[in-house]
Amino acid sequence: MLLELREASVAYNMVRALHRVSMTVPPGGIVTIIGANGAGKTTALRAISGLARLAEGEIVFAGDRIDGLAPDRIAARGVGHVPEGRRVFADLTVEENLRTGAFLRRDVDQVRRDLEDVYGRFPRLAERRRQYARTLSGGEQQMLAIGRALMLRPRLLLLDEPSMGLAPVVVEEIARIVREISGTGVPIVLVEQNAEMALELADYAYVLETGSVTLQGNAEELHGNEHIRRAYLGG
Amino acid sequence: MTELLLQTVVNATYAASYLALVAVGLVLIFGVMGIINFAHGEFYMLGAYCVVAVYADLALPFLLSVAVGLVFVSLVGMAAERALFRPMRENPLGGLVVSIGLLLILQSLATLGFGVRMEHIPPPSQTVVQLAEGVGIPLQRLVVILAAVALLGALWLFLRRTRWGWALRASAQDPEAAALQGISMAVASRIAFAIGAALAGVAGALTAPLVRTYPYMGHSVIVAAFIVIIVGGIGSLEGAVLAAIAYAFAHTFVTTFVDGVIADIVGLLLMLAVLIVKPTGLFGSRDRA
Ligand SMILES: Nc1ncnc2c1ncn2[C@@H]1O[C@H](COP(=O)(O)OP(=O)(O)O)[C@@H](O)[C@H]1O
Ligand SMILES: [Mg+2]
Repeated sequence: MLLELREASVAYNMVRALHRVSMTVPPGGIVTIIGANGAGKTTALRAISGLARLAEGEIVFAGDRIDGLAPDRIAARGVGHVPEGRRVFADLTVEENLRTGAFLRRDVDQVRRDLEDVYGRFPRLAERRRQYARTLSGGEQQMLAIGRALMLRPRLLLLDEPSMGLAPVVVEEIARIVREISGTGVPIVLVEQNAEMALELADYAYVLETGSVTLQGNAEELHGNEHIRRAYLGG
Repeated sequence: MTELLLQTVVNATYAASYLALVAVGLVLIFGVMGIINFAHGEFYMLGAYCVVAVYADLALPFLLSVAVGLVFVSLVGMAAERALFRPMRENPLGGLVVSIGLLLILQSLATLGFGVRMEHIPPPSQTVVQLAEGVGIPLQRLVVILAAVALLGALWLFLRRTRWGWALRASAQDPEAAALQGISMAVASRIAFAIGAALAGVAGALTAPLVRTYPYMGHSVIVAAFIVIIVGGIGSLEGAVLAAIAYAFAHTFVTTFVDGVIADIVGLLLMLAVLIVKPTGLFGSRDRA
């Protein structure tokens, strides 16, 4: 397994946000974490990338324990994280944002080629390379946040609600992009409140409820599951 | 009258120069660490005392003493970052307490080392550069202006053209998102403190022969610097430079043509006016930029 959470717990000021969560992510495909608002999805991703400290348990990435490492050290091991709310650098240009994603890389020529790849994948970013990120629409900012993470050449990509706040056509475009990236061989952990989209894209799914995994299985099976249909798919 | 006006412009430019050096460092540190460094005036004071020790006491060349000030204060800044400020990252109240503690410690150390008396520093040069009929600037002041332009220009290039420059701007805008790109918060903080302290140290060193050097001299400059960063929009480097210019001109003109106490009041009114019209400062977008 590429990534393993073993009985991982996170608490904010004594309040448990994640309770003994165990998950595995294989070296390919898409794993999704779905759940209601406040279920602990974001906390799970923040624990993986080192932004949240574990109260107990461990996280193993590519054979090494990474819990307790600083976030920049975890990024250096190849974990790319597109955070909730996109969090692009508003006062940096599109191109500066993308280059920031390549901060750790020294292969200058390959970085330049990857930059062109990202522009090829997101033509709207190419048109706006010299614009400040603050001037982009929500969908464009999401693409920039994804492009920035790709510039890291991630061995694992964490996506936190990439569809949040976007119009349905844009959500579809993001879904297509996620599938494409997965097609290039990058394993993805996709967090979504939009369970319909997530279960369509993913191979395997975990359901989080108030900090605990209550259900897991193949995405297709969960899509047919009665409880999931009622609780998350609006029918 | 024209001569007096021009002379006042020259004097204001000089005041804007060292004020901008101090304020920009303060903004840089706030941007990256989310901490207002109340001990920043003491970094300025330490720079001045480097000149007292190296130039006045040891009789070594003035510019060497300025270089010592830059390096020494920068090292003090890095040490303070590591020992005191890093543990207080994103904890404004803790940062406040720690920086006031540092302020008192540095003032006490200066008093222990040099006494509370004002130091007399022989001016390195008595030359007055004649700019026009009746308008002159002492070479010593001209050096401060040129140094400020050169250092702020170098900082601008560093922030826009280098890898760590981008990293620092990214960290100032969103430290967590920057960390996710592999940018070490610890290294970014250290660089911000090293640069911020060095700029204040240079300002103190260069102005030491021109102002009164004593352990509490930081007060005079820190109050003006706070007004400047609030007017400029806390977190905006360009805003800090422009606000330093605005403040220095207002203050110098009122001092020259009206009165020094009124000038201080005008400075505060300027800040109040900006806070009422645009609470984020003239160039601030959000609480940090
Ligand atoms: N920084 C924080 N401080 C305190 N509580 C938090 C913080 N972040 C999240 N929480 C709490 O932790 C729980 C899980 O939040 P989160 O992981 O953001 O859920 P989700 O992403 O599934 O909506 C929620 O109850 C939330 O209120
Ligand atoms: Mg969330």
